[in-house]
Amino acid sequence: MMKKTHDSAIKSERRPRPALWQIICIVLFLFYMLLPIISTYVFSIAKRWDRTILPEGYTLDFYKRAFQVSYFGSTLRNSFILSLSTALVILIIIVPTVYWVHTRLTRAKPLLDVLMILPFGIPMVVLALSLVQIYNFPPIARSPFLLIGAMVVYAMPFMYRPVVNAMQAIDANTLTEAGQSLGANVFQVLMQIIIPNILPGILSGGLLVFSTVFAEYTLTSLIVGARFKTFPLLLVEYTRINGNVAATFSVISFTIAWLASILILWVGSKGQHTTADTIRVR
Amino acid sequence: MAYLSLQNVSKKFSDVVAVNDFNLEIEKGSLVSFLGPSGCGKTTTLRMIAGFELLDAGTIMLDGSEIGNVPPNQRDIGMVFQSYALFPNMSVRDNIGFGLKMRNISKHEIENRVDQVLEMVRLQDTAKRYPHQLSGGQQQRIALARALAVQPRVLLLDEPLSALDAEVRVVLRGEIRRIQSELAITTVYVTHDQEEALSISDMVVVMNKGNIEQVGSPEEIYRSPKTRFVATFIGTANQFHGAVVGKDSILCDEIKLVANGLNNYSISQKVLVLVRPENIQVQTEPPLPHGGNVIEGKVETITFHGAVTRLGVNIGSQRVMADITVDNAQPISLNQKIWLVFSHEACQVMTETL
Repeated sequence: MMKKTHDSAIKSERRPRPALWQIICIVLFLFYMLLPIISTYVFSIAKRWDRTILPEGYTLDFYKRAFQVSYFGSTLRNSFILSLSTALVILIIIVPTVYWVHTRLTRAKPLLDVLMILPFGIPMVVLALSLVQIYNFPPIARSPFLLIGAMVVYAMPFMYRPVVNAMQAIDANTLTEAGQSLGANVFQVLMQIIIPNILPGILSGGLLVFSTVFAEYTLTSLIVGARFKTFPLLLVEYTRINGNVAATFSVISFTIAWLASILILWVGSKGQHTTADTIRVR
Repeated sequence: MAYLSLQNVSKKFSDVVAVNDFNLEIEKGSLVSFLGPSGCGKTTTLRMIAGFELLDAGTIMLDGSEIGNVPPNQRDIGMVFQSYALFPNMSVRDNIGFGLKMRNISKHEIENRVDQVLEMVRLQDTAKRYPHQLSGGQQQRIALARALAVQPRVLLLDEPLSALDAEVRVVLRGEIRRIQSELAITTVYVTHDQEEALSISDMVVVMNKGNIEQVGSPEEIYRSPKTRFVATFIGTANQFHGAVVGKDSILCDEIKLVANGLNNYSISQKVLVLVRPENIQVQTEPPLPHGGNVIEGKVETITFHGAVTRLGVNIGSQRVMADITVDNAQPISLNQKIWLVFSHEACQVMTETL
């Protein structure tokens, strides 16, 4: 009797064979997700692809043309400047705030959690237009600075979550007190103890912010437009000029985003070692 | 004046009184334990000494100067936490050297001091490891080493052993006492474990509900508890409620007890008499009259505790605990009729508090 229940327990642990409908669902989902991306890649190297199922030939000419576009370098540079400075500003705001709220002002935590959801609830067109109307005086009006400000609001939640999670994984209060009892002031504690221990969270948050801002179109287009042309603006512009070149721009953008994602995964896997293994209180 | 002195220290958390008018003088180089159940205010008091909690009232003096308003990082007070609180991102060497680095001490000097304290806690070979590579006991030794490396004026230990298993706990508390005596460092040790407090302290402060119940040497605390709380919290004590009926006798229900030190009590005053189980002798034959206390009873429970066996004896009005040692010649069985014998000195008399 005992043996029978034991055997059936083992059987139920074995993974059942997926049903046909499950396989169909997965295939449809992958098809839906991957087809546009694969098509874009193929389109960027296709000679002509409007009369046949598969392209009539392949060429790297569009890449050559893309790299020769006069704005290519400057838009890429602008996008990097925008993404990196947004990530930096958010980092400087979020990390000390989260640390402070976790150690000194725990009552403010629910409020901060709500505040960090708000940006998702504001339509970007509304955000952009209201910022443009309020900050309508030089040198801020329609400047890259205003754009960075808007991006900071828009992308802050992407940094907030990973940093909060990392902060919760360490015993920030006790580590702070331990640091203080050894003679460190709060700034030294933050820089030498807290930040190194939440670094995986900061890095993945930073990369999320970077890739989000790098691909952003609406805010950029409405706030600065052609004054500070970024890579997504160039891409949209080229969809009207030459589809194949626009496809190569998309591929370049994808590649940058994917490199960032790989970096996130890599940092994340390293982070698991430092936060989960190391912090075994009790 | 004492080295570390707390005067009229009080602390409230919203409406809850955590520490109430706390007064204590701690001599230089001594180890003082704060002992009490959870929520008695012992950790809050410790955290006020460390500077992590602000005082609502009172003063804390260290070596002649007030430290109540000094930030924790300038008090020069070392602390060891229950959760070790080692910095996960730093090796053992860097953890121990952290406090020295904050004091801008030269690299060479830091190396030497770290080696010194590592030797003191007998973990020389772990210098390059990271906290997560160490056992709980090792982590707490490193935490102790880290606190001692900066040669603080006072060392505070906040339930340092409660996260460890029993065996490691006993070894480590001996180590803490050894190192503390070697360095003659003034130490405050917070614990809820009475055995721990009694075994390593010069002085024990028993606390309850934010108040000090009794301050004294471990022997005093154990042998002559001043309050009912201390008597029942430390060890086990049988309680007899009764009234004074003579210059040395007390009537508890039907039982007449003889005790010393009744001069301070008036006739018919209600008192509480405490007798520890280990001070009661168990006899299987009626004893000859000898002037001490004798109570007749029946064995109801027998519990084996290793070194002693504890009997629960029904004496009619209540159950009394009495300990017998393993080498007790006569075997005792359940429901057996026995006689409990104890001297005047075994009776601790105190005013009955309602």
